[in-house]
Amino acid sequence: MNSVKTLAIAAGLATAMVSNSSAEEITVSAWGGFFEETLKSAIYPGFTEETGIEVRSIAQPADQAWLTQLTNAARAKKAPADLSLVADEVFIRGQSIGLWANLDAADIPNTATLLDGFTKESEDGALNAVGALTWFTTFVTNTDAAPDAPTSWADLWTRDWDGKLGLTSNSNSGLIEATALTFFDGYDTMETREGLEQIIAKIAELKPQVQLWYRDEGQFQQSLEAGELAGGLYYHDVTMLSAADGRPVTSTFPQEGGILGDAYWIVPRDSKNIDAAEQFINYMIRPDIQAKLARNLGVAPVAKRETMDLTDEEFAAISTTGNAIRTQTAIHLREGDWLSDKYLEMISR
Amino acid sequence: MGDPIMKGKAVPHMIGLFPLGMMSLFFLAPLAFMVVVSFYERDPLGFYKVAFVWDNYSKFFSSFYYVISLRSLWSASLGAVIVVLLAFPAMYIIVDMSRRWQLFWVILLLSLMCLSEVIIGFAWLILFSENSGIPKFLGWAGLWEDPRSLSPSFGAMMVGYVTLGFSLVALMFLPQLARRDRSIEEAALTLGTPPMRVFSKVILPNFKAGLISALVTMFVYFLGVFVMPTMLGRPQDWNMTVIITDKAVGDANMPLGAALSVVMLIFTLIIIGSLAYASRTREQGERS
Repeated sequence: MNSVKTLAIAAGLATAMVSNSSAEEITVSAWGGFFEETLKSAIYPGFTEETGIEVRSIAQPADQAWLTQLTNAARAKKAPADLSLVADEVFIRGQSIGLWANLDAADIPNTATLLDGFTKESEDGALNAVGALTWFTTFVTNTDAAPDAPTSWADLWTRDWDGKLGLTSNSNSGLIEATALTFFDGYDTMETREGLEQIIAKIAELKPQVQLWYRDEGQFQQSLEAGELAGGLYYHDVTMLSAADGRPVTSTFPQEGGILGDAYWIVPRDSKNIDAAEQFINYMIRPDIQAKLARNLGVAPVAKRETMDLTDEEFAAISTTGNAIRTQTAIHLREGDWLSDKYLEMISR
Repeated sequence: MGDPIMKGKAVPHMIGLFPLGMMSLFFLAPLAFMVVVSFYERDPLGFYKVAFVWDNYSKFFSSFYYVISLRSLWSASLGAVIVVLLAFPAMYIIVDMSRRWQLFWVILLLSLMCLSEVIIGFAWLILFSENSGIPKFLGWAGLWEDPRSLSPSFGAMMVGYVTLGFSLVALMFLPQLARRDRSIEEAALTLGTPPMRVFSKVILPNFKAGLISALVTMFVYFLGVFVMPTMLGRPQDWNMTVIITDKAVGDANMPLGAALSVVMLIFTLIIIGSLAYASRTREQGERS
C-alpha cells in the first residue's frame, strides 16, 4: 500500500517537473494589495490556460519608488519583472533614460481595438508601451457623515466638512488640475509658476478643513469607511468596491469631471522574455479581457467602447461619458522639484 | 626587553583591526558614497549625473528645508527628554521591588521592544481614533462633549516616540540602578534629607553620565524615526527623515536626499559633540 502511494507521488512529481521545464514563466508586477491579488486570481489564470505560460505575480511599491528600483536594477543589467504596470509619469521618466525594451508592434495585433493614444512610441518609432487600464480619482464621501453627495469640486471649499477632509500629500494627485478648472482658466493657469502658486494658495484655503494629508492610501480608506473622515479625494474603483461591500461610502463624479489616470504595460530593457511579454500584453488588451478587468476591478477600460460587451449600466459604474480631468504630466515633469517643494511647503507649514 | 612588550601590544592592535574593518565596510564606505552622491547633479527626468555641484546644499538654505530640520531637532530632543524623565524614575522604583515583580517588569519591557514601530503606530492610531478608543470612551463617560480624533497631532506623535523609546531607556538604566551603592542615599536619608531632595541632589548627579548618554542615544534614535511622524503626526510634524525619504525614493532625487542627510549628520555631530564637551568640562571644573 505504502509503496504504491510513494510510486504515485514520485510519478506525480516527475510529471510536474517535466511540464514545468517545458512551460515558460514570466514575472508580472502590479500595484500591490487588492489590485494585484485580483489580477492574480481572476485575470492571469486565463492567460496561462491559453498560452501555457505561467505568470508569477509580484506586488510593486508606489510609482516613484518602483521607478527608483527599476533604475537601480537596470544599472546592474537586471529586470525585477518581465512586465510592469506603470503610470503615465513613470513611463515618460523611464523612457527618457531608456529603461524600456522595444516591442514588436506586429506581435501585439490587438492594439487595433485600443482607444487613441494608448500605444506609446520612442523617438525612433519603436513601440515602448501599451495602455493597460485607466482609473478615475473622484470626490468620495462617507454617506453617514456627509449625506448630500457633492456636485462640484468647489464643494470642497464651500461646504463645512467639520475638519474631516482627507487629501493626498502628493502634488500629482490631480487636485491642482481640478482646482485650476474650477476656479481659474483651466490648464492654461498651470503653464506659469505664478499660476501654479495661485492654485496652491487656493488649495491652502482648505487646510483648516483637512484632518489627514494622506501618504498611505490604506489609511485614508480605513478612516473614510470608519467615518473618521467625511470626504476627500480617492480612487473611484476602490470606493465603489467598498460601497458594494456595504460600507457607507460613495464616489461622485463632480460636474467638472473625475480625474483620469492612465497606466501602461512596459517591459524592462533587460527582460529575457520579451516574446512571452508581448503575448501577455496582447492578451491583456483584448476587449473581452478589458471587460473582465472592468467587472472585477472596477477600472475603466482602454479598449474602444463598441468592442466590449459591457452593458450601459456596467459602463456607467466604472467610467463616465462626461468630462475627464487629465493630469498635466508634462507640466508636473517640467516643474517637478519646484512644484513638489512648493506643495510640501504649503501643506507642512 | 622592549621586544616582548611590543609583541604583547601587537595582538590587541590586530584584534582592533576587525572592528575597524567592519566599520569601514558597513558604515564608512556607504557614508562616503552618500557624501559623493550629494555633490552629483540632479537629472529631473532620470536619476542623477556624475558632477560636482553645490546645488543640493544651496537648496537646503534657500528653501524651507532648514525649518524642517529645526523641527526634527526639536521633536527629537523633546522626545528624548520626556522618555528619560519617565524611564529613569520608573526603573528607580522597579529595582527596589521584590525579585518577582522586578522580573515581571523587565520581561514586560523586553516584550515591548519586540513590537515593531508599525504595530505600535497602528495601536495608537486605533486608540486615538474618534470611533473607537480614548475619545469614544471619554465621550461615553461624559467627560468630552464632542469627542474628536486625537491623531494626527504633535501630541499623538510624541506618545508614539515615548512608546518606542521607553523600554530601551529603562533597560539601559537597569544595571546601573540595580548595582548602585545604596549606602550614599541611606546616609543622606539618615542625616535628615527629605526623599525628594535625595533624588534630585544625590541620585541624579550620581547618574549624570548615564542620563546624558541615554539622552543622546534617544535623540539620535528619534531623529531617524519614520513611521511615527507619518502615521501619527501632521505634515507640520514630519521630520527630516520623512522628507529625505520623499526626495530620495519618492522623487528619485538621490543627490538632494544625500545632501539633506549629510546636513542632518553634521547637525547631529555638532549637538552630540557639544553635549559631550559640556559634560566633560563641567566634570573637570567640579574636580579642580
